[in-house]
This record gives sequence, structure tokens and C-alpha cells, in this order.
Amino acid sequence: MNIIGPDALVFGVDDIDACATYLTAYGLNPASVDAKGGRFEALDGTAIVIRRRGDPSLPPPLESGSMMRLIVYGVADRATVQAVGDELARDRQVQRLADGGIEAVDDHGFPLRFQVTNRRPLDLPGERINAPGAPAQRGVNHIGVWQDMPAKPRTLSHVVCFVPDIAAAEQFYVNRLGFKVTDRLGNAGPFLRPAGTQDHHTLFFIQTPPHMKGCEHFAFHMGGPTELMLAGTRFLKAGYQSFWGPGRHKFGSNWFWYFNSPLGCHVEYDADMDLHDDEWTPREAPMSPEASQAFLFEHREKWAPGGPPPPGAGKPGH
Amino acid sequence: MAEILCRFDELRDGEARGLGPFDGSGAKAFIVRRHGRLFAYWDACPHYGDTPMAWRTNAYLNAAGDRIVCASHGAEFEIETGRCVVGAALGKSLTPAPIEATQEGAVVFNR
Ligand code: FES
Ligand SMILES: [Fe+2]
Repeated sequence: MNIIGPDALVFGVDDIDACATYLTAYGLNPASVDAKGGRFEALDGTAIVIRRRGDPSLPPPLESGSMMRLIVYGVADRATVQAVGDELARDRQVQRLADGGIEAVDDHGFPLRFQVTNRRPLDLPGERINAPGAPAQRGVNHIGVWQDMPAKPRTLSHVVCFVPDIAAAEQFYVNRLGFKVTDRLGNAGPFLRPAGTQDHHTLFFIQTPPHMKGCEHFAFHMGGPTELMLAGTRFLKAGYQSFWGPGRHKFGSNWFWYFNSPLGCHVEYDADMDLHDDEWTPREAPMSPEASQAFLFEHREKWAPGGPPPPGAGKPGH
Repeated sequence: MAEILCRFDELRDGEARGLGPFDGSGAKAFIVRRHGRLFAYWDACPHYGDTPMAWRTNAYLNAAGDRIVCASHGAEFEIETGRCVVGAALGKSLTPAPIEATQEGAVVFNR
């Protein structure tokens, strides 16, 4: 089934103002915002949507109180929406929406919507590097970084959920929706790739007791590690709380930097994720700090070498 | 020995403030003023164990200012007891920090 990945995540939040301020500072574009909530878009139109917790237009909340209320999947075409609807209607209620989309819940009760994707195609250069022995990617006289270089989230990358039953979660997405397992972290869970993308994962699960069920984090792709570092540094300087990173994951090879958020989950910048196709054989490693990252750093204040200038420096007459 | 951190009347009711790190250990704490009383906890969520709880400087409370919220996964805690009432830290409690308001209105850290 030609599912591309998440087009949007919808949250029912406690504090609309806090979330609006947060998502804008993170780098999303406030496309429409009012007292009821808002839609905050990445460059390709994928988005985080916020509503009040009690908003009657939202699917009912999970018992855990998790604020994530709906995952909206973008698929290739109407035929795929139809095929997903037919498949899920075999054993659960499928709601057909006026706009042609459908809604149903997964085996853990997470509400899902499927729609023909509304992503705008992006045509932007990625990060270019120069390395001895390889042809230069950045030509002569092209600089690699400047202080106010743009660093905006490009597209919604992935969502990670706490679930009590990893096997059930994996089976639902693999057997019913055609996702592929790219890799597995033991005691945590599978990295899952839908058929319509080559991204290493758009979905990952972590096994927890039932009262924790909900969203662990979501991530947007940046244009490269430099953009990730710049965006994260700006976010931190604006007073937001770093949670984990910057670093680089092993499975997926994506650079990461996670922050706390008022949406009841972590929010990540990621960059430079591996691509896979069906030829790939999944790897497996037990969940551990060693398996989770190739390296991990922590931010510190800017600094420069050298003390004060030597006596007499800068005076004329030398 | 008590270290003076701030004045109690700098805080409005329903307001929180992050403090520290203390003892060069990197350990931070936060205080909350509610109904004229001061409550203090270490800034470490009992869900993951030792991770920071605010989403921005001093942002430890919900919109109504009547619960502490962990900005990692949204667990909510009673301000008075530190007990988790909903979410990922259910069954666990925040650890009180040795911070109190003196008769003279100073907020002090007791080491
Ligand atoms: S670390 Fe605080 S709720 Fe998970
Ligand atoms: Fe991630």
C-alpha cells in the first residue's frame, strides 16, 4: 500500500498559547492560528495541528492522557485510500469523510486518518560538503555556514509511540498496512517504513506499561547537520529545554536533537536519515545507550581561544 | 548552611521558578508558589528518573497553574504532594528539595 508517511499530527493540548509560541520558535510556520488552535507547517506543508484538549471535533483521548489525538497519513492516491479503507473495514469501524479521507483506529486505539497527501514537492539543495578525494559538492567561493543562515524544518519525518504490546503494533502496521521493518532495537521495538517512502523510519515503537501509552516524540527533517545544529542552538538560546543531543543515531544514521515541549512529548530536529528499499535486511541490537547513538554531545556557550591581546598590540609605530 | 536564592514575594501565586544547579553537581530544582505557600522539588522527572521537566525556563506548570507538568511526556503532579496523578510517572512522586521560605521572606537552600 502506497502510504508515504505522516502528513500531520493533531494534538489536544492544555495550553494553546504556550504550544503556539513553542511551535513557532521551533521553526514551523503558523499557517492559521486562532483561539481554538492552529496549524503549524513545515516547508512542504506537513504540519502539527493543535486544538484544545476538550475540543469536540477531536477523537476521544487515550486513557493515559497523552495529548496526541490523531495521526494523519498521506498516501499516494485515491486508490490507496480506498484500499486502506477496505482492508481495515474487515475487522473495525471505518469512517468515510466528506473530503474523501478515512478514519479508523489501530490495534492500540490510536486514531489514524488516511488522505491523499497534501505535501508540496520541495526543490531545495541539501547540505553540501567538501571532502578530500571526492569531487567538491560546494563549489569554489561558496560558503558553508553563516550566522543567520536559514534552518527551517522541511518535512514531518517520524512519530514514536509508547505501546504496551510491541508485537501487536508491529503486526498491525506490517500485515495490514504494508509497512516494512528496517531495524529492531530489542526491548524497545521496530523501526517501520511505509511502502511509499525510502526513509529508514516514519514510525517507531517503545514498549511500556499501558498507563504510558502515547506519543514519545515526533521529528521534522532538516536540510542537514549544520541546519540541525543552528536551529537547535537558536531554540536553546531562546530558553527552550534541550532533552537529548545533539548526536547521531546508529539505526537510521540520522542526526538528532530532542527538546521538551508543552505538547506532552519530545520534539526532535533530525537530519540525514538513511534510505532503504525492500532489498534491505533488518538489523537487530538490544536497546542500550551504545546502540542508540554513534556519538552524543551537549551544548555549551560559545567560546574562542586566546586571552587578551599582548601589551602594545594594535598601537601604531611597529 | 543556608544559601539565599531569591525572595518569596518575587513569585506570584501559581508561578514556578527553576533554580540551581546546586553544589556544582548540575542538579537543578524548582519552586512553586500556591495559595501563599512554597513547594520545592528537584527538577528530575521520576518517569525517566533524572531528566529535566520544564519546556522553557521556569515553565513547570499547566495553563491553570494548579499542577506541575513534565514537558517530556506530559505526566501531571500535585503541587502540594509531588504525587503523579496522570501520565507516564503514575505511582511515582517528585523528590522534595531542601528549599524553604524563612520568616523574613527569603527563599533559602539548606545544604
Ligand atoms: S520523563 Fe517526565 S513524563 Fe516522561
Ligand atoms: Fe526520532
